[in-house]
Amino acid sequence: MARIGVFICWCGENIARNVDVEQAATQVAELPGVACALAYKYMCSDPGQSLIRQKIASEHLTGIVVASCSPHMHLRTFRKAAAAEGLNPYLVEMANIREHCSWVHHDRAEATAKAVELIRMAVAKVRCDHALQPIAIPVTRRALVIGGGVAGIQAALDIADAGYQVVVVEREPSIGGKMAGLSETFPTLDCSQCILTPRMVDVGQHPNITLHTYSEVESVEGYLGNFKVTIRKKARYVDVAKCTGCGQCWNACPSKKTPSAFDYNMGTRTAIYVPFPQAVPARPVIDRNACLHFLKGKCGVCAKKCQAGAINYEDQDTSVVEEVGAVVVATGFQLYQIGKERNGDGTVGYGEYGYGEYPDVIDSLQFERLVSASGPTGGEIRRPSDGQVPKTVVFISCVGSRDNAKGLSYCSKICCMYTAKHTMLYKHKVHDGTAHVFYMDIRAGGKNYDEFVRRAIEQDGAQYHRGRVSKITQENGRLIVRGVDTLVGEPLTVEADLVVLASAMRPADGVEPLAQKLNVGYDENGFLSESHPKLRPVETNAAGVFVCGACQGPKDIPESVAQATAAAGKVLVMFGHEKLAREPEIAKVNETNCAACFTCVRACPYTAIEKAEIRDRKGNLVKRTARVNQGLCMGCGTCVALCPSKSVDIEGFTEQQVYAMLESLE
Amino acid sequence: MLDELRQTCRRLLQDGAVQAVIGYGRASPDDPAVPVFISKPEDVDQLVWDDRCFANLTKYLSRKEVLSLGKLAICVKGCDERALLVLEKESQIDRSQITVIGLACDGVGQPRLAKCESCDVHMPRRADIVVGKATVPDADAGAKRYAEIEEFLKRTPQDRMAYWKKELSRCVKCYACRQVCPMCYCRQCIVDKNRPVSISTSATLKGNLAWQITRAFHLAGRCVGCDECTRACPAGIDLRLLNLSLAKAAEENFGYRPGMDPDAEPIIGAYSQQDHEEFIR
Repeated sequence: MARIGVFICWCGENIARNVDVEQAATQVAELPGVACALAYKYMCSDPGQSLIRQKIASEHLTGIVVASCSPHMHLRTFRKAAAAEGLNPYLVEMANIREHCSWVHHDRAEATAKAVELIRMAVAKVRCDHALQPIAIPVTRRALVIGGGVAGIQAALDIADAGYQVVVVEREPSIGGKMAGLSETFPTLDCSQCILTPRMVDVGQHPNITLHTYSEVESVEGYLGNFKVTIRKKARYVDVAKCTGCGQCWNACPSKKTPSAFDYNMGTRTAIYVPFPQAVPARPVIDRNACLHFLKGKCGVCAKKCQAGAINYEDQDTSVVEEVGAVVVATGFQLYQIGKERNGDGTVGYGEYGYGEYPDVIDSLQFERLVSASGPTGGEIRRPSDGQVPKTVVFISCVGSRDNAKGLSYCSKICCMYTAKHTMLYKHKVHDGTAHVFYMDIRAGGKNYDEFVRRAIEQDGAQYHRGRVSKITQENGRLIVRGVDTLVGEPLTVEADLVVLASAMRPADGVEPLAQKLNVGYDENGFLSESHPKLRPVETNAAGVFVCGACQGPKDIPESVAQATAAAGKVLVMFGHEKLAREPEIAKVNETNCAACFTCVRACPYTAIEKAEIRDRKGNLVKRTARVNQGLCMGCGTCVALCPSKSVDIEGFTEQQVYAMLESLE
Repeated sequence: MLDELRQTCRRLLQDGAVQAVIGYGRASPDDPAVPVFISKPEDVDQLVWDDRCFANLTKYLSRKEVLSLGKLAICVKGCDERALLVLEKESQIDRSQITVIGLACDGVGQPRLAKCESCDVHMPRRADIVVGKATVPDADAGAKRYAEIEEFLKRTPQDRMAYWKKELSRCVKCYACRQVCPMCYCRQCIVDKNRPVSISTSATLKGNLAWQITRAFHLAGRCVGCDECTRACPAGIDLRLLNLSLAKAAEENFGYRPGMDPDAEPIIGAYSQQDHEEFIR
């Protein structure tokens, strides 16, 4: 015999203002199976919870309904209170009479009637509930970090310093990511490499970190706490174990004209190369598409020069399988491809800026290399076309950002800051030069950020023009930038020697297939989705997979690092347990009824359903059935919707419960 | 052709390649062929083949008592053979354990059934042994396959609803449509579940609508159009029309015809980024 307790919350005035809670309590007390119903001002407060606990004990309740706010808010609270009194926490249901009722209705009588209906449904549901136990999942205390930029480095170091093994996968030959190529960083103007490279070395030397560079994640199997990740290590043609990183090979390599990706094609590199001198590991790779040995079948200079005998032209891609319990995705960003990118209806954005056509129109990351001491010009600002020092430089912000028509709808967040930084770095190096900035707004929220922009304008004399640029043309070796200054209200033309486009931030190439392998969601721009924008900012909807850095959304360095540490913290929370407890509200197959059509296996977005066989004691096949992997199932219910014989159900949310709820309505 | 069929089956049974053959037999001269299960070589003369061999015998592959006969051979027409592929895709049969005898077919029924008019599988294509040669050419791709439903869809929605209400009010919930359908192999049908009752079991219009709509949806992207349900229906409801509607949707939206392409993924439950999702809008 069910003995249900109904606890109706006033939520201060939030609910009581529009719902007559006392009348609702009187009404629902009459429902079959309801042993007691009462209202209280703040049910979630300490006295409120005590009231619930008292009633559970004194009324011998077999289930409770709390009519208050969204279960997102306080289901956990009330479940804990019930568990403390010895009532199985999965016999607690909530009726949301705040968001679903009092907040959206104004007629008190109608709102009260609706609240009663909502409670009636919850009572019907709790009557069909049965006790559930959390699922215990063993956890491999070893983490995988995908991406070796500043976010990945930070996450890896934090987890490794806590004493756990970390595997880092980086697809480039060296870790360091975008930050390794930056000149100086806002708002302090400290040298990017000076602060990053020591941390890169830490990663390379850490006893708890296994580093796979020039490698990519090929496949991911398993689930929370028990992932099996296959990593493809691309052929380097250099035996990393033998190589000492002496540099004889790349200094002698006769193929010197390949554009350097690290310098964003502003400089060149050899066929056997390390991307930059401070690379970790400081071991070269051979670019097959540039190497004379591979192109023409002769050369072999590097092999002759190498005293360690580390060159291996026969090297092949290899695979390694790593078993890990958690995954941190930190794949970072790339720049919006100005003038080359297509959006939905096939238009090409910003061809009018001449990027790729005029050599002196460059993007912001290229400018970083121009001002970087380790860059192709040794830190002297010289324009690509003729090597002259530009006396007038125009910076254009929001190229691709905040432009629904030709670019992307979102703000890339960091461009205002780095453009201010660019004007300062330029002015510090070219004292008689003038920096012009065309901008839409200046977004400088952050500690010392607005002060930084003001400094660029007031001390370093950057000329800020609020307005967009319509066209850039080239005349007599100079760039004619035609725009508008909307504050003055007049068209504005600037003759420039160099134009720098602050191109939008986009997720790195290949993040979508990776997200699919990991079952992580992503938005229409390809940024990975966190499970809750405020309360679960580094978790994803795939249990055990975390995100940090610019792969989740545009971010600067401090934010990426903070988020990386947050992700590492979440991993460490996981690793603090020997076994993980998962909520038991997941799919369960009725194996007797299952017709083994395996539609659910195909449909499951989490690959959580397996084909299984039931055998008798002699090993004869009795029948085949679908079976749910409790570690993988997220309880989404896709299988329930598709199962033709209704042989699968969500525990705690069964079809029977849903029907009971619907049928309870008057 | 009948001699060839009997010879083939005799040989299969004599060699011990199979222990039983599922084929067509004749109970009385005026009636359509009935299923026969031949286990002895001397019984193969019971087998018949003519244009009254309507039944889709693949239904029997999910029957326990048939499976207990041992290794099986089964006679299929081109249209029935499509069901085999769907059953294989849905893990219901182990195709390697079944010998499939394909029967060349010029169409069944006098006059020919509607499905035979637009048939493009007169010759079985994936059978282990093919008996005979069809004399009727295959219909062109897409030719009039959905003519009846296209004609029906020209009527107003109200008119169509009225038609179905009238037709389905005659349904007596005998479930012959389910019993004869090779795709209805569930151990417990959704309509037989009573906790909760999803479909009213009473033979009233509401329950009948719920049942037939559910049945049609469960067949979407799976029904091979053998039309056995239509033939079995004692109330004479044109279930073919309902099935055609979903077959048309499957082909138009996903380019998929069940049981035609062994490499195609079944559409129900499959997710593709290429899905254009127009049906959601």
